Amino acid sequence: MTRNAPAVRLEGITKRFGDVVANDEVDFTLESGSIHALLGENGSGKTTLMSVLYGLYDQNSGTIHVDGEERTFESPRDAMDAGIGMIHQHFQLVKPMTVLQNVILGHEPTEGGTVDEASARADIEEICERYGFDVDRHLDTPVEDLDLGAQQRVEIVKSLYRGAEILILDEPTAVLTPQEVDGLMEVMNDLREDGRSLIFISHKLDEALEIADDITVLRDGKAVGTVPAAETTEQDLARMMVGREVLFDRLEREPGTGDPVLEVEGLRMPGDRGREQVEGVDLTVREGEVLGIAGVQGNGQSELIEGITGLRRPSGGTVRLSGTDITDRSRRDRIEDGIAYIPEDRQTEGLVQEYTLQRNALLGNQTIEPYAENGILNWGAVDEHAADVIEEYDVQPPNPEANAESLSGGNQQKFIVGREIGHDPDVLVASHPTRGVDIGSIEFIHKRLMELRDEGVGILMVSSKLEEIQKLSDRVAVMYEGEFIDVVDPETVTESELGLLMAGQTLAEGSDDADDETSADVDGGVSS
Amino acid sequence: MSGSEYLDAARLRLGGITLVVLAVLAAVLALGFDVDLSRLITWGFVTRSLEMATPIALAAIGGLYAEKSGVFNIGLEGFMIIGAFTTAGTMFALGGTSPTQGHVWAAILVAVAVTTLLTVIFAVLLIRYKADQIVAGLAVWFIGLGFAPFAAALIWGSRSSPGLTNINELALGQSPLVFLTIVLVGVAWVFLYRTRYGYWVQAAGENPEALDTAGVDVNRVRYATVIFSGAMAGLGGAVLLAHAGNFVGTGSTMVDGRGWIAIVAYLFGNYNPVGAAAAALLFGALDMLNVQFQTVGIEVSARLVNLLPYVAVLVVLTIYGKTRIPAVVGEPYETEE
Amino acid sequence: MSGSGPDSNGGALDALAARLLDASVLERVGIAIASTAMALLIGFVIAAAAGYDSIRFANQLLVGAFGSERAIARTLRSTTIFVMTGVAVAVAFRAGVFNIGVQGQFVVGGFSTVISIIWLGAFVPSGTVGGIVLMLFGTVVGVVAGGLYGALPGVMKAYGDANEIITTIMLNFIATGFVGWLVAGPFGAPEATATRTRRLPESVELPQAVFGDPNLSIVGILLMLGVVALVAAVMTRTRFGYDMVTSGYQDTAATYSGVDAKRMVISTMALSGMVAGLTGALFVIMIQGYYTDPSGIGNYGFDAIAVSLLAANNPVGVLPAGLLFGGLESAGSHVQINSDIPVQLIDGIVGLVVLFVAAPELFRMFAARTGLGGDAE
Repeated sequence: MTRNAPAVRLEGITKRFGDVVANDEVDFTLESGSIHALLGENGSGKTTLMSVLYGLYDQNSGTIHVDGEERTFESPRDAMDAGIGMIHQHFQLVKPMTVLQNVILGHEPTEGGTVDEASARADIEEICERYGFDVDRHLDTPVEDLDLGAQQRVEIVKSLYRGAEILILDEPTAVLTPQEVDGLMEVMNDLREDGRSLIFISHKLDEALEIADDITVLRDGKAVGTVPAAETTEQDLARMMVGREVLFDRLEREPGTGDPVLEVEGLRMPGDRGREQVEGVDLTVREGEVLGIAGVQGNGQSELIEGITGLRRPSGGTVRLSGTDITDRSRRDRIEDGIAYIPEDRQTEGLVQEYTLQRNALLGNQTIEPYAENGILNWGAVDEHAADVIEEYDVQPPNPEANAESLSGGNQQKFIVGREIGHDPDVLVASHPTRGVDIGSIEFIHKRLMELRDEGVGILMVSSKLEEIQKLSDRVAVMYEGEFIDVVDPETVTESELGLLMAGQTLAEGSDDADDETSADVDGGVSS
Repeated sequence: MSGSEYLDAARLRLGGITLVVLAVLAAVLALGFDVDLSRLITWGFVTRSLEMATPIALAAIGGLYAEKSGVFNIGLEGFMIIGAFTTAGTMFALGGTSPTQGHVWAAILVAVAVTTLLTVIFAVLLIRYKADQIVAGLAVWFIGLGFAPFAAALIWGSRSSPGLTNINELALGQSPLVFLTIVLVGVAWVFLYRTRYGYWVQAAGENPEALDTAGVDVNRVRYATVIFSGAMAGLGGAVLLAHAGNFVGTGSTMVDGRGWIAIVAYLFGNYNPVGAAAAALLFGALDMLNVQFQTVGIEVSARLVNLLPYVAVLVVLTIYGKTRIPAVVGEPYETEE
Repeated sequence: MSGSGPDSNGGALDALAARLLDASVLERVGIAIASTAMALLIGFVIAAAAGYDSIRFANQLLVGAFGSERAIARTLRSTTIFVMTGVAVAVAFRAGVFNIGVQGQFVVGGFSTVISIIWLGAFVPSGTVGGIVLMLFGTVVGVVAGGLYGALPGVMKAYGDANEIITTIMLNFIATGFVGWLVAGPFGAPEATATRTRRLPESVELPQAVFGDPNLSIVGILLMLGVVALVAAVMTRTRFGYDMVTSGYQDTAATYSGVDAKRMVISTMALSGMVAGLTGALFVIMIQGYYTDPSGIGNYGFDAIAVSLLAANNPVGVLPAGLLFGGLESAGSHVQINSDIPVQLIDGIVGLVVLFVAAPELFRMFAARTGLGGDAE
């Protein structure tokens, strides 16, 4: 089979948002009739790059070639006209409208003024037949009545109906069950065999290896490299994705042997869409101990944390704080009980963007003395607290009257960390404590967390950065599909072993010092 | 066929319950109070109910189009007042206190044109200048309540007009405007559920981004629906006046809450033009039933009976929870970058 | 990454609240003055077009609002009601809850006050002490009734997911209709020719203000100032206020900080309704002395929305905004008697003020284009 001009060629794409460089001179080539996986951690710039290709963003520099021709796309409409379709993470579907109506929206065939449903139906059925989709069986069902996998197929059919030859799938497996993932893989395969070209955005190594012809890894907005899938391993990819940031080594510590402060038993948590996301987790955090939770995003970590911090009601199990059952206590009760929380999303949860830092210093402290007494606020104490945090954590600019939104991400995060640690907690739950934070601030935050641990606070930390997990944790639990697949010692576990566990594969029995060769051979064995 | 097009099961149940209640009521009246039902349900009653329902149905259809596309037009009442007054004013200007049927029709057209023009300004404020839809809608009501009686006082020296004329019946004792409304209801239904533009209206209010990425200009769709809603409310006001024959500008004017009832009607009808028209008819009949009760000597408070629609909507919204408010109502749409 | 722009968080209400609250104080004052000036200007043009002397009309507005002791007393009287209903709206809007139902809560509160005072009046001796007892009792009943009537749509929103904008509009009509029926029927005064309840006992009377207007009391003015001060203090100095305002700005952050969103909606609506109910109580005790058909009582609760927005939902800012509306209403009474211009013109002008207040963006864009806006983006 001879290869034509590449379906897509991106050269030197740079995209900046303000001071943040989301894509830095990225080159990317999608061969015609192939599947190319774009791999990287959250925030590595995958979606931005594809949004540039799809006409959602204008690049600051660099060129786009489609089928060998240089193109500029002002809008998705232009990209669509050039045969590009994108299946977003958040489906672009009109929920109460039927599948048929959604597929043809904006491209409706008409007959005598009204929509010609019959001809649309025939066209869609033809597409479905060609790729073995079941979408045509639900053509008159409102989209909202379909499960997410089916909705995704509707999105794909929509792109095909509009004549897309090049399909971009943005984290398509993130919302799917394992069975649905298998189905999607088949569909992608069929599309490739039919000569279409696909870009598959993911952060899951095994999926990329399974389906892609080529794999490009992005890290911090840069393309680390492109490799043929046949010639690489999960270990190599994991190394490319995570990289090696030059940080100081594991910090000096004494193993935490204090009493248990946080005990979780058989915790089950519902997800946003009703499906259970945490399916029976047991964990214990002792005084002066860091329990790190590693795992690919979306395996139940967020829900687990919400169950512990009181933001979401569990569907089963118990949570105990220093021996007291707090399962039925509210979020506010738990704050007062001594659970501090560095939230996953500092923009929407951790700070009120339009508040000054002073007013933000009160967030979560509303019922805690000296900031409030009997419901009356003591702004003097709050302002002092804000000033202290700003000084101690070197928040820039050091202006307590600055609005939170005017601060950089790193400084916002430092402020939140300072505020939460200032609660004098018994337990600190830290979710991605250094996501999107500059290196200087990362080290600073890490040091603070260690100091806190040494003071005897129990810390539960979720992070997608493996080196962070390994550096800070006393024990590491790996979460996969709502369960702890294993708990390992960060001193001895290797990055590649963590990568395997995160992909749902158990480590070979007894291979404490597992060398890379053997563990890589363990395949497919998803424990449950 | 798609579920959203037809009244869903819960709503059918609700409708069924309403019918049962009415039947029981009729039985109680006939047996318990020895009321002659044939005196209660007369052809005149049907005619008056239809007349009562038409202005509500027209405004409701306009309002539901706007809201379906994501813009809450709560100025319907104000536009109806302006429509009614403009009709009266034009009639008077053309034919004094004895306008001809031609004048009536011309006045209706002028009224629609005037309200359409005013709604264009309203739409620009809402869509281009992202005005608060609730407050701007209330403002339209206040403006109607203020300027229509003001202008009436200028023309006639009083807030109400002298007797002008009302429209002649066409057939079966019904005004041609009743037939016009029935036709418009049908057209509105077909347009909304059977044409591409109707699809766009629905998508604009549910997921404008999906519509945008499909290459359709969301705000253009919204301009069209908002302007249409004003025109329909204006027509509703004009029809009200053409049936009444004179303008009343005292108190809450002759429109007297019909614009608000129109909103209730389309909520009750789950944004379906046919459902909204049916609800309007129900409310019109309810209103007229009061009159019928009086003529046969039953004491029921008209005011209480007239509250039923509002209570019913609260029940539907809270307990049935099935009235589906379009997802992004009230949210201005801004394209990326 | 693509969705993480600065304004991608939150839904319609957040965006709306953010836009309304974003404006700096100076910009807000500018927009308020521009809205009023523009509306008045259009009013004058219309008056001129209708053949009246606009200068004279403008003069009459001024005289009617502030030209004499009587006018000032009349202005202050309406101002109290506008300010207090405005505060009721501001409370809810600041919390991101769109209470359009202040009118209904105002009516229910006022009517309950009248009925409870008349009922208790039969057991309490007349005289000053008795009067004070009756007024206190009636006011408490009014506050509770208004609060409950406000909490109802709050409950519907929290537990039935019913949009509060629609439910509160419906509850306005239900309040007006139902109270109207009660006033005409079960609670109608048999001796009165008009549709109204019996009068409040003679002992129910507030001390007059300096102007000798029987319908304006210093107590009313103090109550208004007290409510403004209290609500301002609650919003800025208490935990509840912080929870409430934080919910209005960013509900996700409020939840993170331990606010129970459902309870917050209900208590916000209840507080808003309580202020509206209190206003209703003051209205009947100070001004009306009985209850009439609420459809003729005035649109205080609707105008209050404009008052609140004019003040950027700031309880202190509601004072000047309420004064503007009070002045316009007072001028209306003057114009009605002393001029041949149909007084409805003023209602229309109020409508225009409201319209312009709804669209601050209009003035922002205008200012930006003409370079008047300074460095506002």
